[in-house]
Amino acid sequence: MIFRRLRSLVRKEQMERQLDTELQFHIDMQTNENVRRGMSREDARRAAIRSFGSVDQVKDGVRDTWLVRMVETILQDVRYGARTLRKNPGFTLVIVLTMALGIGANTAIFSVVNGVLLKPLPYERGDELVIVRQPQTRTDVQDIGFSPKEMDDYRVQGSTLAGLVEFHSMWFILLGRPEPERVQTGVVSANFFDVLGVKPILGRRFRSEDEKHGAPAVLILSYPYWQRSFGGDANVVGQTFRMNDRPHTVVGVLPPIPQFPAEMDVYMPTTACPFRSNPRAIENRQFRLMSAFARTKSGVTPEQAAADLNVVSNRLQKAYPDAYPAANGFGITVSALREELTQDFRPTLVVLLATAGFVLLIVCASVANLLVARLVRRSRELAVRSALGAGRVRLLRQLLTESTMLAAAGGAVGLLLAVFGLDLLVTFAERFTARAAEITIDTRVLLFTLVMSIVTGVVFGAIPALSERQDVLTTLRDGGSRATSGRHAVRATLVVAQIAISFMLLVGAGLMLRSLLNLQRVNPGFTVDNVLTMRIDLNFSKYQTVATRAGVIQRLLERLEAEPGVVSAAASASFPLNDDGGGFSGTFQIEGKPVPEGQPQPRAALNLASPDYFKTIGIPLLRGRLFTKQDHVESPRVVIVTERLARTYWKDEDPINRRITFNNGQQWATIVGVVGDARTVLTEEAEATMYGPILQTGQLSTTWLLRTTVDQPAMERQVRAALREVDAEQPVDRFRTLEQVRGAALAPPRLTTTLVGIFATLALTITAIGIGGVIAFSVSERVQEFGVRMALGAQRGEVLGMVLRQGLTLVAIGLVIGIAGALALTRLMSRLLFAIEPTDAATFIAVSAVLAIVALLACFLPARRAASVDPLVALRAA
Amino acid sequence: MSVPKSDLLQGTLDLIILRTLALGPMHGWGISLRIQQISEDVLRVNQGSLYPALHRLEQQGWIQAEWGVSENNRQARFYSLTKKGRRQLEDETANWTRFAGAVARILEQA
Repeated sequence: MIFRRLRSLVRKEQMERQLDTELQFHIDMQTNENVRRGMSREDARRAAIRSFGSVDQVKDGVRDTWLVRMVETILQDVRYGARTLRKNPGFTLVIVLTMALGIGANTAIFSVVNGVLLKPLPYERGDELVIVRQPQTRTDVQDIGFSPKEMDDYRVQGSTLAGLVEFHSMWFILLGRPEPERVQTGVVSANFFDVLGVKPILGRRFRSEDEKHGAPAVLILSYPYWQRSFGGDANVVGQTFRMNDRPHTVVGVLPPIPQFPAEMDVYMPTTACPFRSNPRAIENRQFRLMSAFARTKSGVTPEQAAADLNVVSNRLQKAYPDAYPAANGFGITVSALREELTQDFRPTLVVLLATAGFVLLIVCASVANLLVARLVRRSRELAVRSALGAGRVRLLRQLLTESTMLAAAGGAVGLLLAVFGLDLLVTFAERFTARAAEITIDTRVLLFTLVMSIVTGVVFGAIPALSERQDVLTTLRDGGSRATSGRHAVRATLVVAQIAISFMLLVGAGLMLRSLLNLQRVNPGFTVDNVLTMRIDLNFSKYQTVATRAGVIQRLLERLEAEPGVVSAAASASFPLNDDGGGFSGTFQIEGKPVPEGQPQPRAALNLASPDYFKTIGIPLLRGRLFTKQDHVESPRVVIVTERLARTYWKDEDPINRRITFNNGQQWATIVGVVGDARTVLTEEAEATMYGPILQTGQLSTTWLLRTTVDQPAMERQVRAALREVDAEQPVDRFRTLEQVRGAALAPPRLTTTLVGIFATLALTITAIGIGGVIAFSVSERVQEFGVRMALGAQRGEVLGMVLRQGLTLVAIGLVIGIAGALALTRLMSRLLFAIEPTDAATFIAVSAVLAIVALLACFLPARRAASVDPLVALRAA
Repeated sequence: MSVPKSDLLQGTLDLIILRTLALGPMHGWGISLRIQQISEDVLRVNQGSLYPALHRLEQQGWIQAEWGVSENNRQARFYSLTKKGRRQLEDETANWTRFAGAVARILEQA
């Protein structure tokens, strides 16, 4: 009967054909009968068809019986299943919650993968968009950028690009709002948004007229800035604001899209940027300020585009040898924008996806185990149903219906968990990729959850059902109390699998945790306590000379030093661990140490510092002196180098009083001091760094550091007030303590570790319950055996040991498999690990020990029960 | 007198089909012919009821179907009673007889 029903599902077509044949036979026979009664062949046929009635109607009637039957059986199974599940609310609840955790975790992680990796870029034909870079291969610089001249050359001579546009970012001050606002400005080609395929939600894109020399300056606002600063006011288009001493008119607002390489507040065409539009910059082939984005012609791969552009690059290197010193090694690389946007997130996502997948496997194993256990308790019922004529397949389907119902309920609850967790995940993803905002529960995610629920339901339902091999007679004879050894083997296998997978998860979590601890222990080379940082970008149209810039910095320093609660104040170009830009590097020459022909020039990370910078941030002076107020615009040039730079270029010699130049000897600077190294990025060794005196060089983009004894909000108010006194039109922002800056650098690994840790703990708990359950079950099976053994003189301790040994055997097998699996898999997470090998022996040993101890504890309860069996009671029960 | 389709209760049609098949395996056409013959043309079965009934009975496991060769050498679907169907026929026959007897007594006494 089941087979017929299954057939009606699977072989619908064949059944239709058979029905046709059957009905045709009827009509043919009626025709023959009519002919026998004397009708002509033709009349006989027509009469037969007439008397048969509507063939379609008959067919519909038959088909109805197929359908009704199918729906009836399913409903019957569901009703029966619901009744069974309701009868055991505790059991049902445990399974639904376990499933919910497994499915919820996977739904959540998949929604991230979907939003970040699977969805197409929200640009028109986003797969054609590429980033073009000009690396210096021999100095290990990934992208030196492009000059306006180079942009023109590649635009004209490249044959694989449908469009090539430039981008660079600047801080400008926007006036005309209640407060002066420092806006991050993307300076772009007029056709930038046309090439990217982005349509403004308000107003228009830039036009080629906007980029003509002397055209009125125009702005396009980014969506987040428009929301944040203008509250989404649609009347903003057409408004005019003062920037760089010129009126700028807003012509459009962008939709909410991921912005690459960074979030901008406003965009302007190249001619509106006072630096980029400078004729000297336009003429200088080495004014390499810009990043390049392009759209490839359709069907062109990034590799093909790179090959094409490298031909152009070789041509340019031959034509302008001065602009391309052969010693540095020039070339072009092209990479897909889609890959670049998510590159930093990918290794983390892979680990999270694997983790969630493993958790689901453990959940399935654990639920299957519970179902097997329950099947034992239900074997009497099943045997009776079987004896009353329910076929094996019918029973199998009943079990699958129940497990699918459980999985569906688990999936629904899991989906809820995922929905509630979504905001957290988006915040998490924002630390890795600009595409985080695209993470939503969409149809694809829902479909994924649905399919996952059904598949897991069928899988964990089929395992116990298929283990149900016993025949009816045995069960009925034994009173349904005895399980077959086959079923025990299934449970043991499931537990071994759980242990193996838990081990892998725990090792993963353990490695992440140790890596995080290593990271937290890293000495960044400075003190993070009680230092408040902030950013001030000076208005360049007001402070046009080095002297005025140094002057305003000096005035503000003095003003801040006088504030109550300020221990020391410092200005710099950037500070270690700062992720807010400002870091730059350059090549220099050492007096008396010319670089041999064809060798790259010495290179250093550059920073600028006021006299108290080192004291404020806690970088120690090792030799020589720090900057003083006497190192001013008029005095001889001086620099301070870090220990690493000293060791790199002077080995054991003393660099103090040596001279270096950044401009081929036009101006020499004397090294006056050597200071300790400080890390720019927590995970990387400190770079060789050179500091210049900010009061001597002046600087527009400045970061400020205050060592204070006052809490942050109060200090912020004091700073704003002080700055207003110095220059009322000067904005200040990005207030953060050094502790927060370091926290932000640690946040991504900490969040990932927490997530993996939660998953691993979950897995361990589920597994411990699993082991305990299996041992308890086998103990209850062997109560009589234990009774006999004890009656024959076995000690309690021996029985206890026997049971524990049984549990530990499972653990040992699981551990061996787990170790092998972990050795094979942890390599995948090596990119997330800091200062620890993915096969770290200590971690493996510690995790094995933890797992073994937890397993032992889980076995101990049932073992004690076995040891306390009263031989008399046990034997009498037999 | 011919009995219109609607008057032939579903249970009655099932019983008649089972009874007919108790004589031996038969195809749909044969069943409809046999019902007509035995009832001396009183009952004429509509094909729109017959075939759905056959498939329904098959799904209930009371009859089973097999492809075989008809008297005129054609592929035909032969239905036969299952063990379960035979039991069902006995039960239903007993029920029917009891029911018919009761109705008859009421009609006589009224």
